Amino acid sequence: MIKMSNLKRFFIYLVLVIACMISVFPFLWMIVSSTNKSVDVTKGSLLPGIFFMQNLHHLLISSDLGTALFNSAKVSIITTVLAMLVASLAGYGFEIYKSKAKDLVFNFLLLSMMIPFAALMVPLFRMFASVSQTVPFMGIDTLSAVILPTITTAFLIFYFRQSTKMFPKDILEAGRMDGLSELGVFFRIYVPTMKTTYAAGAIITFMSSWNSYLWPLVVLQSPEKQTLPLLISNLGSSYSPDYGVIMTAIVIATLPAALIFFIMQKHFVAGMLGSVK
Amino acid sequence: MKKLLALLFASVLVLAACSSGGSTKQTASDSKDVNEITIWAWDPNFNIKALNIAKEVYKKEDPHLKVKVVEMAQADIVQKLNTTLSSGTTKGLPNIVLIEDYRAQSFLKAYPDMFKEVTGSFKADDFAKYKVEAGTYNGKNYGVPFDTGVAGLYVRTDYLQKAGLSVKDLQHIDWNQYIEIGKKVKAATGKDMLSQDPKDLGLIRMMIQSAGSWYTKKDGTTPDIANNTALKEAFKTYKALMDAKIVKPVSDWSQFVAGFNTGDVASAPTGNWITPSIKAEASQSGKWAVVPLPKLSGVPNSVNASNLGGSSWYVLNIPGKEKAVDFLAKTFGSDVDFYQSLVKEIGAIGTYKPAAQSDAYKAADPFFGGQKVISDFASWTNKIPQVNYGLNTYAIEDILTVSAQNYLKGKDLDQVLKDAQKQAEEQIK
Repeated sequence: MIKMSNLKRFFIYLVLVIACMISVFPFLWMIVSSTNKSVDVTKGSLLPGIFFMQNLHHLLISSDLGTALFNSAKVSIITTVLAMLVASLAGYGFEIYKSKAKDLVFNFLLLSMMIPFAALMVPLFRMFASVSQTVPFMGIDTLSAVILPTITTAFLIFYFRQSTKMFPKDILEAGRMDGLSELGVFFRIYVPTMKTTYAAGAIITFMSSWNSYLWPLVVLQSPEKQTLPLLISNLGSSYSPDYGVIMTAIVIATLPAALIFFIMQKHFVAGMLGSVK
Repeated sequence: MKKLLALLFASVLVLAACSSGGSTKQTASDSKDVNEITIWAWDPNFNIKALNIAKEVYKKEDPHLKVKVVEMAQADIVQKLNTTLSSGTTKGLPNIVLIEDYRAQSFLKAYPDMFKEVTGSFKADDFAKYKVEAGTYNGKNYGVPFDTGVAGLYVRTDYLQKAGLSVKDLQHIDWNQYIEIGKKVKAATGKDMLSQDPKDLGLIRMMIQSAGSWYTKKDGTTPDIANNTALKEAFKTYKALMDAKIVKPVSDWSQFVAGFNTGDVASAPTGNWITPSIKAEASQSGKWAVVPLPKLSGVPNSVNASNLGGSSWYVLNIPGKEKAVDFLAKTFGSDVDFYQSLVKEIGAIGTYKPAAQSDAYKAADPFFGGQKVISDFASWTNKIPQVNYGLNTYAIEDILTVSAQNYLKGKDLDQVLKDAQKQAEEQIK
């Protein structure tokens, strides 16, 4: 019996090790490539080189990395904070308050998940272009134009509504009895109890905002406003791209997202489990 | 319920505010300071550098004009142009944009009023004919020519020597002779003759243009596949190359570059813009030469010259267009010295004929064993047959990529091309 379970365990670990290698290898290759010269990268070298500093130097002189990092951070953080507020309020509202129109509205919301972003892009662009004249800080080529369409998604509202389903509603009633306003109930009782849900939602939003490419590409014009993914795309624009430098930029772009994920991993898993239950 | 209603009202109000904003005409961009022009281009080492040189040159003409160069990947430019132009606004458009020649016609056709005609701002006769044709729509010039994509056959002379051959044996050959040479080189050195990415039909494109043919007929829209003798011969040659086992398969651009950087292949038939990538492997200095591209055998009008890629400048029909045209006309459109600096500083070869007589074009390159590569390329440029790249080069190529694979797997060539023709006709209307 013991032998059998050992064998089983061996296979489980074997599968895990293979899966691990498959998912980790690209990262490893990326990091190794950032320390090699372009020619070595194209040759497929898997050994770490000594050119990381040189690549970094080239990256810093050939592009405005600092500004792009700052822009990306600004966009992602503002998006995440706003998205958490708006989506959780909406999800909470959909679940807690009773109304006949509620389900109809919610179904419309879910339908909007079916529309690919590419189809929305031209109308969205038109909207922002027309706003540009009257409200310049919200028009084309502003960071708010990048942030606004993404501060809430049907998915996030859906996610918060699902999570709210298992929220003990009696506590809310108790809060109301004790004289809290509706917003007071939300901020003082709901938000603190749903920390893990917020953590998972924040990670998802931050990641997608950090990696977001198509919309910023279309709506941003000036180089001083570009975000990291756009900068990386530009690096690859050359007829003879310097792959070492590109990989260095990608490493730098990956680090913050990876760090945040690792720090909040525990909450993330807990939050995701919560929404499924 | 009350709350929901309130929310609805609020959102309606917001929407109304937005739409009333939209109806006010675009006054801001009209009154925009026209002493600044914006240019979009890709590749910092090539197009952007060229623009910066042009900027310096133009300062003598108009020291007050501010030229803002924005660097973007080519795919990004296409995406942005398409979104902005199809949304019907001019907000955020650049004054000048670089467009690849293969794509130019489709832009000119789709957004006819958005591009400014530049006929007469430069002497069209001074440029290679095929190049001017690429930026001409309905008989009007829209594109100011920039780099040539003139193709050549880059070969490793040391590998040739091992096979008992020399560069002389590769001058003005056809593709069948090329295959025979490839076999000899492979037997002597064990190296493949060239590398090919099955998803990229650049080789076929070069072959058919060398015979003055394209995927579409002269009108630029009718697919010309099933009865296209040049295309048929190009497919046959492609298969013969594969069957001769002298091709190293690659799956992307970096592997293609690695192919010659590592010394795994003995030659690279491609556009002249590959030179910097070839030179990147400094240890191979003196081991390379460039010879004219082989021609198609059995197609009488095929010549030893063709083109791969290349792009031109286009002016958008927005405020500042006159200054933009003037900027292009006085640099890319007429300045021999400017073209000399382009060659000297970035190795960019233009299609401006008077520049070919200048000293910079006649310089010998030690990396290529002292060959006057630039001058050679310039003379081949003038022999490139003129074709209309039409509206659907890449759409048809997507179809043909599959056809080529079917043909390689053993399907009948006539049938394969017939199917492709049918599919192309159905897809592009």
